[in-house]
Amino acid sequence: MPEIKVTPLGAGQDVGRSCILVSIGGKNIMLDCGMHMGYNDDRRFPDFSYITQNGRLTDFLDCVIISHFHLDHCGALPYMSEMVGYDGPIYMTHPTKAICPILLEDFRKITVDKKGETNFFTSQMIKDCMKKVIPLNLHQTVQVDDELEIKAYYAGHVLGAAMVHIKVGSESVVYTGDYNMTPDRHLGAAWIDKCRPDILISESTYATTIRDSKRCRERDFLKKVHETIERGGKVLIPVFALGRAQELCILLETFWERMNLKAPIYFSTGLTEKANHYYKLFITWTNQKIRKTFVQRNMFEFKHIKAFDRSYADNPGPMVVFATPGMLHAGQSLQIFKKWAGNEKNMVIMPGYCVQGTIGHKILNGQRKLEMEGRATSVTLCCPLAPIKLQIVLDVKLQVEYMSFSAHADAKGIMQLIRMAEPRNMVLVHGEAVKMEFLKGKIEQEFNCYMPANGETITVTTNPSVPVDISLNLLKREMALGGPLPDPKKPRTMHGTLIMKENSLKLVSSEQALKELGLNEHQLRFTCRVQLQDPHSDPDTLHRIYTHLKSVLKGYTIQHLPDGTVMVESIVIKVSSSAEDTNTKVLLLSWSYQVKYFQCSYLTDGLYRD
Amino acid sequence: SAAMEEAEFDDILDDWFIEYKDLHVYQLEHPTQVIEWTSGRTVCVAGFSPSKNEILELRLPRKLFADENKGLCAERDFKVVHGGFTDRPVRCLRHVPGTRCAVTGDGLSSNLQVWDLGGDDSDVIRRTGSIEGRRRRTGVSEGGSSIAARPSSPPQILHGAQISDVQLTELSSGQTLYQLESDSADPLSSLHFLSDAVFLAGCSNGNIYVADTRTSAAPQLSPPPPPPVSSGESVLWWTDASAGPDPSGCRVVRLSSSGQALVSDLRNLGGAVSRAQLDVQTLRCGPDDVRVSWAPALDDCIAVSGFSGAVQIYDASVWTSELQEARPLFEHRGHAVSPEQSDDGVPPILVTSHVWHPERPRTLLSAASDGSVHVWDWVDQSAADKR
Repeated sequence: MPEIKVTPLGAGQDVGRSCILVSIGGKNIMLDCGMHMGYNDDRRFPDFSYITQNGRLTDFLDCVIISHFHLDHCGALPYMSEMVGYDGPIYMTHPTKAICPILLEDFRKITVDKKGETNFFTSQMIKDCMKKVIPLNLHQTVQVDDELEIKAYYAGHVLGAAMVHIKVGSESVVYTGDYNMTPDRHLGAAWIDKCRPDILISESTYATTIRDSKRCRERDFLKKVHETIERGGKVLIPVFALGRAQELCILLETFWERMNLKAPIYFSTGLTEKANHYYKLFITWTNQKIRKTFVQRNMFEFKHIKAFDRSYADNPGPMVVFATPGMLHAGQSLQIFKKWAGNEKNMVIMPGYCVQGTIGHKILNGQRKLEMEGRATSVTLCCPLAPIKLQIVLDVKLQVEYMSFSAHADAKGIMQLIRMAEPRNMVLVHGEAVKMEFLKGKIEQEFNCYMPANGETITVTTNPSVPVDISLNLLKREMALGGPLPDPKKPRTMHGTLIMKENSLKLVSSEQALKELGLNEHQLRFTCRVQLQDPHSDPDTLHRIYTHLKSVLKGYTIQHLPDGTVMVESIVIKVSSSAEDTNTKVLLLSWSYQVKYFQCSYLTDGLYRD
Repeated sequence: SAAMEEAEFDDILDDWFIEYKDLHVYQLEHPTQVIEWTSGRTVCVAGFSPSKNEILELRLPRKLFADENKGLCAERDFKVVHGGFTDRPVRCLRHVPGTRCAVTGDGLSSNLQVWDLGGDDSDVIRRTGSIEGRRRRTGVSEGGSSIAARPSSPPQILHGAQISDVQLTELSSGQTLYQLESDSADPLSSLHFLSDAVFLAGCSNGNIYVADTRTSAAPQLSPPPPPPVSSGESVLWWTDASAGPDPSGCRVVRLSSSGQALVSDLRNLGGAVSRAQLDVQTLRCGPDDVRVSWAPALDDCIAVSGFSGAVQIYDASVWTSELQEARPLFEHRGHAVSPEQSDDGVPPILVTSHVWHPERPRTLLSAASDGSVHVWDWVDQSAADKR
């Protein structure tokens, strides 16, 4: 039976390490290769031993597909390709290809430099890994090889995020990655056509969530910023170069305009340049509104938002600053943080997840005293050549706010997507099946639903339809036989020859098949011997048989031929005497292959009855 | 459209900005008429379409309860912790305190369904049985049963569709422990326990009965005040009784479909301590639409919903014995403020239900006919102004 296998990899049930293996039509595909951010040891990597116990993965995988640049979807990619070993193609969208290496390098720096870890990929490994990447465009079918084709669909969520459609022959799988069904201020909503895949794979975690509205999140953000500005405080918003930053800028600009606020808003220049650069490259990935804005004017020509200069951080009075990097682990955002942390009127708003080891992570965990490295301003006498590192303890007095703006689908969104694609089967990964019976039941009202545990393989049998052309002659012949028209619910048997030529199949009559193949028709005849006790002469016995058959087998053509045979339809009967005893007659019955079984047995039954 | 987005943005600023300490807005797949606390952090909601419906137990977002470290908590979503299916509408849902049991009524008959809300090991809400109501006249729908429960061992529920069939049933055995002795066919709008044994039955015609499950004595009856002279239509009434350690200190509020509210002492239900004409749209509403409730943790505050797409909070302490117009202390208009709300024949959005949080003084949940569910913690502007 044709089947598709799906195995989510890795230990633990929680979301945090997406890596799914799919076997379809003889092809093996890895979907995403994420890192689990909660672990510090090998548990953060997916368990590749499932694929092979020893050595490289190249021979076992036909391709790897990465859905978007978040680390829990691509964080383990350089480890997989360079440390475990994989040389095959890695597919991802253009924005993902551009942004992934930046995040991976940042992540690597934090983990190795700050936390001093050793079993981790190097900068060179990231570069070597990215050399294997083949970029994808939206809605463009890409042939991975002769049989395997893939296509990317818009997923919303973050810049460059894609859902992927995988097809081998007439079997297909859709993997959603992370997606969002309600449009953002800067991204559209996920969309897919009614592709009716055999399997749709999605995360289960979000299926049991009902999300608070975007308006409420924005309201909270604006309220916090407004409160801080009103009391004369400064707001620091550390951001990665893209995505959320644009969203929040648009929001603040509109708010400032509406409320007639005067406090300055700054955007660090590095951010502006990078953002502009990326948006120029990937303009098709943002929503209509942004595209229009960008076309009409530069993305960052805001009335109220200006370029930041380092010296502004010391200016008195309220202000808002967007600065990189996003997790406060280095650079300008950390510089500003150090200056502003000691004043309780100030605020830092963290708009997303922070990796362990970063300042961002620490303050989000409630830490109010931070050990930071400082530089000595003077050299002591005892060791003039060695740089002296001072440990400064920073008192965190400013208000820390954690706001999640990341856009995920929820229970309602998932049902919307499922109904868009109309899969035959649904597979939800990274959930605890035992505890998700209700969810499963809900989906199963409309679709089959599977929930494999990590490391567990589920097998879905598919019913691939194989298209076959039928010759007109054959069709006419079958129609001439009369009876009801062919009906999918009431199949009827027909007789023909299936020819496979190149990649197509057709059904023709036997004669036509022989002609096309240049073969002679061979006839098979079967013979069976029936022994009878009969004292009459051979011709008399034959005649008796003839008369008998004529009386019992009404409705059949029975002939007594001059060549000494009796024919029942196409069955030939001859009589001869046994050499040893003339009373023992041997009947030879012979028939060609086409003759139906029941006719023969009726015939022999009829003979024996006498 | 761009215009709509601008309008939405204005809403954020005008209505929602200053007036709420917390505000969360959710969209269920199907609207609910019930919101019932099953713990300090979880509520049950359920659909009321004629055929297949879901019952969901939702956990409120952590952010709402993270008082000191609110800033560090990003989580603002509902989590569906348990769910189940039913093939009837759910018009009434009552959690049995001290258990993981809930009882539902479909509004069509006086029979009730009993459910196990599920534990840690499974997310399924399972039907475990049913309870037969006394009323034998099926098909006569004046609204279904009302249900009340208080902590007891073994668990019991008080239920009935009209006065004559109110009974106290033991859940596990189905045994009837008490029946209200009355021939009255007054249809019920609500039942309330005032203590372990004393309960109050509010009828939709305005009659209030008080009875004691320990005795078989006839219940005490208090009729409603006479209707306003002008009204020709029959008036519907809804009731709530304030909870308290001493039932004799309990106060009862009655609200009519013409917007008249009366507050009475339990000891003297015939008289009114205070009254007011509320600022509500008195369009035709059904017996099931309106909810009136005393705030469990805020003195003298009453919440009213069902007349429109808003939930109103009134301070009854400023009401007098003279019937005067009262303005709400606060109005939550979030449900009705939606782009779909226009005058093109679309039925107006109505609030279907509201509940107060049992401990947090100004936290409420409200649900509307468009499937929205809001959790809000409002700011008392008048108190702020007095500072």
